[in-house]
Amino acid sequence: MDMEFLTELNELAITDHQRLTGGRMGRRKLEDDDDNNNSKEFKSKNLQAERRRRQKLSDRLLTLRSLVPIITNMNKATIIDDAITYIQELQKTSQVLSEQLLEMEGSSEESVMPMKLEIAVAQHDMKKCGIKEEVKVSNIDGNKFLIKIIVEKKRGCFTQLIEAMNYLGFELSETNVTTFSGAMLFSSCVHGKYGDTLMVEHIEELLSEMMRSMKTSSQSAIELGNTN
Amino acid sequence: MNLQESGCFDPQYSMTHWHALMVMGGLPSPDGTTTQTHDILEDNLNLSSYNHHQLEEEDASTAVQMEIQQHHLLDTTTTNSHFIRPELSYEQSNWDAADHQSFNMLLSSSSPEAAYPPTPDLLNLFHLPPKCAFLPNSSISFKSDSASSVVCDPLFHLNLTPQPPVFRELLQSLPHGYTLPADEKELYHDGDNGILEFTRDISMAAHAKGRDKAGKTTKHFATERERRVHLNDKFQALRTMVPSPTKNDRASIVGDAIDYIKELLRTVRELKLVVEKKRCGQDRSKRLKTEETASAADAGDGGCKLLGLGDPDQCYNTCLRSSWLQRKSKNSEVDVRLIDDEVTIKLVQRKKINCLLFVSRLLDELQLDLHHVAGGNIGDYYSFLFNTKIYEGSSVYASAIANKLINVVDKQDAAAAPPTSSTCL
Repeated sequence: MDMEFLTELNELAITDHQRLTGGRMGRRKLEDDDDNNNSKEFKSKNLQAERRRRQKLSDRLLTLRSLVPIITNMNKATIIDDAITYIQELQKTSQVLSEQLLEMEGSSEESVMPMKLEIAVAQHDMKKCGIKEEVKVSNIDGNKFLIKIIVEKKRGCFTQLIEAMNYLGFELSETNVTTFSGAMLFSSCVHGKYGDTLMVEHIEELLSEMMRSMKTSSQSAIELGNTN
Repeated sequence: MNLQESGCFDPQYSMTHWHALMVMGGLPSPDGTTTQTHDILEDNLNLSSYNHHQLEEEDASTAVQMEIQQHHLLDTTTTNSHFIRPELSYEQSNWDAADHQSFNMLLSSSSPEAAYPPTPDLLNLFHLPPKCAFLPNSSISFKSDSASSVVCDPLFHLNLTPQPPVFRELLQSLPHGYTLPADEKELYHDGDNGILEFTRDISMAAHAKGRDKAGKTTKHFATERERRVHLNDKFQALRTMVPSPTKNDRASIVGDAIDYIKELLRTVRELKLVVEKKRCGQDRSKRLKTEETASAADAGDGGCKLLGLGDPDQCYNTCLRSSWLQRKSKNSEVDVRLIDDEVTIKLVQRKKINCLLFVSRLLDELQLDLHHVAGGNIGDYYSFLFNTKIYEGSSVYASAIANKLINVVDKQDAAAAPPTSSTCL
């Protein structure tokens, strides 16, 4: 008997607890006879939530108010109006400034560091550290390969590498590129999109070929630069 | 609808107009039979509406005159006629408080022979016209003390108030159980000044106060609703200004606006710095050139040294420029952080397209030197982190980077979407 009584008490306690901490979901499990009691509790809980919501909104409005150099009254509608006008003003300002910048760009006499200088620097650094250009491909599993490439760092070489990958039909699942001492290390886990398996040696050959062509193209660019 | 169509609404005209109608229609005959008045009122209303169609621009008094003449034609009870003329003369005077007081005094005497316009009696008997003014589009039957019920239908022809929608809304929004005649009794219970209040009420339709049985202010519904609608519109307008709005609730709209304003402030500050740097760079290079040409004959070193020390714009070059912003689109998210000349770009992309190629092309275009890239495929997403450095002399700024990036990525999204569904390689 005692046990039953205790268990029943426990059950009641549990259900009460559930109801008390049910929050919004708990409301749906209300029983009719408990309406009077618990509805008040739920009303107060909801009231709390509502109060918090309103508080959150008013806090944010206050922050907005503090940001905007308000001209007019301090009620909800005008603060929003003023915020809108202020945003428009700022947008206009930034547009004007960027146009100004573009103009200045056009008439600028400073040019970006010439490419040949870069390349020369890169080569020098690489030699100093003893880094050599390299292409290494290893097969992980079926169509998956791990590709590691070391090239001389120059402008646009990353793009060229990605283009090469695309051309070979590789989808890069994991890529990592770092640059140091004028060299760029590209390591990527790829897998072939098109299904046909390429042999490791083939890939290495193709990639070395591409790198060579990259080099020659850059050299021709340098020559062009020299003539200019 | 005439009420709304006629832009120029002459209060004087309208007042006199419907007063005339009231006079014509609602006069209680001495014997107490009111059915006649019912017919007359209805006829007159119809007539007046017909009239009104014709007489939109005409002078008030002439219109009233015409109506009165028509009324004369219809009129069977002779008692009405002499009411009308005094009414006319009364109408053409100004309605202000003083007049009204005297008017009320006149009311007390019940002799029809005197030149006392019977209109106030009408007002008390017929709650019809005021309500008609309020309800241009509805036909409502009213019970007056003399137990006649009148249906007033095309009352918008009365051209009474310029704000009928408010009242239509108001009355439609009235809860059940609030009957209109009851309302008006309450409304015009402020005694003698009823008419005047009513005229004022017409003009300030949205701001009038009235009370119904339950004690709530019924007319406030309209103002309140309008106000709420306006406020909601403003919130929506604010939302449209923000580049990447998230949730559609008020708190997050304001939150987004706050973030956007902060971002704009950062961008503007950065742009100013960049412009200044560029300008002083240009000036310096110009000065260098002029110095060079000028000091070509000289040794040259001394001139350059002087230049380096005496540069007044140096302070701008020591300012560290920093800025960050985020751009979100349906399938991608871009985060650009800029400190001095280093830019860190984070790109998260939902769809599976090979965006690396396009992104790196764009970075080359923007003259950003890639130092480090890390990223790849994580489940449904592609996520990348780019550490770049701005090439010297380039004047790219954070928001440009972010905007261009998100555009490129979105373009790829759009381009990739149809082909992937239709290709079968």
